[in-house]
Amino acid sequence: MRVDFVKAVETVLARDAEALFITGDLGFNALEGLVAKYGKRFINAGVAEQGMMGLAAGTALTGMRPWVYSIAPFVTYRCLEQIRNDVCLHQLPVRIVGNGGGYTYGIMGSTHHALEDLAVLKVLPNMQLFFPCENDHVAAAVALMAELDGPSYLRLAVSAYNTSRAPLAEHPLTLTRSYAARADRSKPGVTVIGAGHAVQVALRALSAHGLDRENVDVFGIARFPFQLAEDSALMASVLDTKNVVFVEEHYAAGGMGESMKLALPALSAFSLMSASYRSDQRYGSAAFHMKQAELTPEALVALVQAQLRTS
Amino acid sequence: MSEAMQPAALARAALAIRRQFLRMHYAARSGHVGSGLSAIDILTYLYAAWLRPSDQFILSKGHGASSLYATLHHFGKLSDAELATYYADDTLLPAHPAPRGVAAIPAATGSLGHGLPIATGMAHSYKYLRGTDARVVCLLSDGECNEGSTWEAALFAGHHRLDNLTVFVDANGIQGFGRTEDVLTLEPFAKKWEAFGFAVSECNGHDFAQLSAALGAPSPGRPRCIIARTVKGKGVSFMENTVDWHYWPMNEAQYGQAVAELDQAESGLLP
Repeated sequence: MRVDFVKAVETVLARDAEALFITGDLGFNALEGLVAKYGKRFINAGVAEQGMMGLAAGTALTGMRPWVYSIAPFVTYRCLEQIRNDVCLHQLPVRIVGNGGGYTYGIMGSTHHALEDLAVLKVLPNMQLFFPCENDHVAAAVALMAELDGPSYLRLAVSAYNTSRAPLAEHPLTLTRSYAARADRSKPGVTVIGAGHAVQVALRALSAHGLDRENVDVFGIARFPFQLAEDSALMASVLDTKNVVFVEEHYAAGGMGESMKLALPALSAFSLMSASYRSDQRYGSAAFHMKQAELTPEALVALVQAQLRTS
Repeated sequence: MSEAMQPAALARAALAIRRQFLRMHYAARSGHVGSGLSAIDILTYLYAAWLRPSDQFILSKGHGASSLYATLHHFGKLSDAELATYYADDTLLPAHPAPRGVAAIPAATGSLGHGLPIATGMAHSYKYLRGTDARVVCLLSDGECNEGSTWEAALFAGHHRLDNLTVFVDANGIQGFGRTEDVLTLEPFAKKWEAFGFAVSECNGHDFAQLSAALGAPSPGRPRCIIARTVKGKGVSFMENTVDWHYWPMNEAQYGQAVAELDQAESGLLP
């Protein structure tokens, strides 16, 4: 998604003379083109996330619209108070970009995983979260963020299941994608909702693990706060099936699944597939961590089948 | 030097601001009296003689908000009606500056270590992106220089040669739970700022001639740091140099004595 992000943000910088790019000294082999082209509007704030977020707010107070980039854990947790006080309380158009959501950074270790980023940011006033489902979803998120008068966060990630699938539809505002829709809606079914790139677990299940398109509607959501009144296809599916399996590459506490469960009407079943903390401290690829957390296509298929059996 | 900038006129303005400040604190029964009194002469000089309409002032020591409110009121940037709401329900003037509440206060502060990064971003934007000659002044407490984020911003300001940025440190030598030198010593303080790329001067933060000289010295290609040596509680004898008056509100007798001391100081000024 990083390549897609750089392309998309470049169009913003080209179009908006008051947009600028600030990095916390990261972006090797990705941001060099922006440096060359936008010189003065590209700032490397150094390895100093708190100072970086404060100065981004300062530039926004002078009328600029900064994009602030680092890897997801660094650009969120380290400077959370600056995001809250300097950015959100002032309702400033600071666009925060975290690369490596969820388990993306796998073997880099737990300091580099971002499994709480959406939780800590979703509670902040005026904050809007964007978490694209696939690479070709990033540009739409960037375009919407570029229009906001207030703060936003973009979660970039690479799924261990790295599966792309052409969506059946994409809502222009909510960015919710429909990936599979049952032909016969009178039969029992399950609504599978993936938050951002976690939907790729479901896409892989569709393509290689026998997740049956006759039984499931699959959606990928990409924004918080949700706008369910806009998301009529998703809501129609949920009201039909009364069964939901929600997949997120994030801890359950404070995650998108928790919020979705509260936002939906009463259901027969709501199963949540989330990341989990493990005390054994063994590390591996993103795929290794997904398997440990049972965030797998096989586990998804099993949950869907269990819900179908009881409905 | 214009009449408003004459030392006697500045002293009278500072006394009027102290009087207003004490009245506000007594009426509200609010604390942070000592921290405000140490900053009032700096604020007076800045607003009377130095800040231009396009310049920005960031009070990073947010607990000094009431001294800023009293100063803004004195210089016509806050109305009587607005000031009368200080510390009361439904006010835009809480104990620490609020976001988006008052035009003359661009940033909410109160958690220490936030002001200088914000001021640095503004100064960088003015100098390199917006191409204006606007200047930014940021007032820090000395205790606030315990915060790492202050030094992150200092590194940035030095590296980018932000000569439109002036950092004032209200160095009253006292922080939350003791003397700065006992809690986490900052000395050699001037050398620290110099090492970060600042043009540094030290002055008596209650002496207008010294403040004028410090602010008047240009520093092409470098941000400035003015370490203003101040007295916490300045102007009220029993509040001076104590930790206690960071916290206590005044009772009637204390308020009466404080006002009497201001009266006495005023009578000593040349007509």
